[in-house]
Amino acid sequence: MLERAEPLRGLGRSAGWVAARRQQIAAQNAPLVVAGALLVAMLVIYIVLYSVSLGSFPGAFEAASITNHAMPLCLAALGQTLVILTRGIDLSIGGMMDVSNSLAALKLHGGFGVEALWTVLILLIGAGGGLLNGVLVAFGRLQPILVTLGTFSIFQGVALWILPSPGGHVAGGYTNFFLDPKAPSALVWVVILGLAWAVLRRSRLGVNIYAIGNDENAARANSVPVLRTKVLAYALAGLLAAGAGIALATTTTGGDATAGDVFTLSSIAAVVVGGVSLFGGRGSGVGALCGAFVLTLLVDVLFFANIDPLFQPFYQGLFLVVAVGASTLLGRHLVRRR
Amino acid sequence: MSATTESQPAPSGLRTILNPDRRKIIYGFVAAIGLFIIGEIVKPGFASASGIQQILEISSFVGIVAAGQTFVILVGGIDLSVPWVLNAAAIVLISQSAGSNGKLAIGIVLALVLGLACGIVNGLGIVLLGIPAVVMTLGMNGIVEGLSLGVTHGLSCGGCLKPAPTALVNAMTGKTLGIDTSLLIWIGIIIVVSFVLSFTTFGRRIYAVGNSERVSFLAGVNVKLVTVTLYALSGLFAAAAGIALAGFGGSATLGMGDPYLFQSIAAVVIGGTYILGGRGHYLGTVAGAIVLTTLISVLLAKSAPDYARDIVYGVVILAILLLYGRQRSEA
Repeated sequence: MLERAEPLRGLGRSAGWVAARRQQIAAQNAPLVVAGALLVAMLVIYIVLYSVSLGSFPGAFEAASITNHAMPLCLAALGQTLVILTRGIDLSIGGMMDVSNSLAALKLHGGFGVEALWTVLILLIGAGGGLLNGVLVAFGRLQPILVTLGTFSIFQGVALWILPSPGGHVAGGYTNFFLDPKAPSALVWVVILGLAWAVLRRSRLGVNIYAIGNDENAARANSVPVLRTKVLAYALAGLLAAGAGIALATTTTGGDATAGDVFTLSSIAAVVVGGVSLFGGRGSGVGALCGAFVLTLLVDVLFFANIDPLFQPFYQGLFLVVAVGASTLLGRHLVRRR
Repeated sequence: MSATTESQPAPSGLRTILNPDRRKIIYGFVAAIGLFIIGEIVKPGFASASGIQQILEISSFVGIVAAGQTFVILVGGIDLSVPWVLNAAAIVLISQSAGSNGKLAIGIVLALVLGLACGIVNGLGIVLLGIPAVVMTLGMNGIVEGLSLGVTHGLSCGGCLKPAPTALVNAMTGKTLGIDTSLLIWIGIIIVVSFVLSFTTFGRRIYAVGNSERVSFLAGVNVKLVTVTLYALSGLFAAAAGIALAGFGGSATLGMGDPYLFQSIAAVVIGGTYILGGRGHYLGTVAGAIVLTTLISVLLAKSAPDYARDIVYGVVILAILLLYGRQRSEA
């Protein structure tokens, strides 16, 4: 967010300015710190519960399992973050994951060339779907929640048309390369995603996305290309959703045209737990990645805490409300103290 | 929208009565009639008196859920907890009344109280804790889902699989004065909700809060109370739909509420209610519910596959939005 402070430079860097700037940075990053702390706390709880119930510490296999299971949500949440930062919301992410999941299960086998080609094609299809959302939102001047509700239904239909009943498979070599079930090599992808976010956020597009989310009219007045930025944000979200669908097909090594549906709402949950504001302009993709891991770990924690799996949605819902409620109250407290 | 009418010097009487918001409601009903005509062409007998009544009866379930959804959307909120509040209410009704007509009243009251309680908690979380409506109601949906599944052991408990009391089934599938009873109930709800929105202080306050919470607060409206009341009503209507569906289908099933999230929001939107609040009416939602249900029925009459139904659904929503859901250009 250095970019936003640029105009202040002309005022000179008095001691007051430095203090104000420091406070601003702290306030900007407080939600990210909370998300990180939540992730650490969840990891500790997981490790304690695991070692108590199984008598040994979790190893590489567990790390791989958690990372691989978190991967689809990580990608979906990152896409959702881009859109939410522009003050929009993308309900079609689950539908796009259905489409890419179905395509992945049908096409991702039969040699390196075919697999590479279809991976690129599926990602492009995702970007195309996102582009449709973006054009309708930006140029059609429609509410994001309604546009993506409509395209969600369309994508669901397309997915069912591609894969009417669950089936298909993803080649073993493909799975081992991207989401190796034995070693936590997928953590590399998480790091790459985090780095990509750091780059994006400092790029022109990233700055514009934050600017639009904070104040669209002010951004427009400062010659931010609002329409183009929005379209790009939605297209990138579609691309990431397609990646999430591929990851889902890879971890489950099969396709299901409805398996992606739940990710629409769980991606929003991950984003919110990750400290991204639903009102746009505030938050970080790294926080969303933390949120995705927190929600994935929660399932394992509930398992090792011997909670009836039927009650799982109850605890997930409660966790969401309590986490967001607590961080909102904390945020208010910080603001009041300033 | 209002700016265009205000800028015109002395609008004629007809123009005031048919302001853009009211016109959207009429478009909705015109679309419904158009769909009935298409249905009649596709399948003769589709738009017969009994055919129409059947479709309106099915529309009533969406319509009842969407009444609550209209209320919360009018203040710029949204209720994502509808599916499982509906489902839980149906389960409570079935398990508490245990198939006996004598316990039906208790079952209905408990189911409605459940819906009301969920709605109040939603409202309090949003108003007091400042949790965004999307997150609060999404969390509530999970909470109610987990409780419904966990407490009933996946709907395998003794009372959960009992059939609905015959009195309720007869009421929901029977006729009164030659009209389906469930349809009459919906007509009653339409009259009451429309009256509340158009002719009561509470109704005016809803629109005031939807247009500007701050201005309403400064004008002396108890914004928090209004908001909590609306979420409570949404929970109540979801529960009522659950009761009606349990009577109509004769039992409670898991996941019976799932289609109603998408459909209730779509009905509100097709009816011309502004998703960010402040403008719209339940009559529009009624038209939206009928349009949606007629659309599905036409596709079923054409025996279209499931995937085509999903695609047509989405395309119709987008088409309707492009027709009259566009915001003014700000450039």
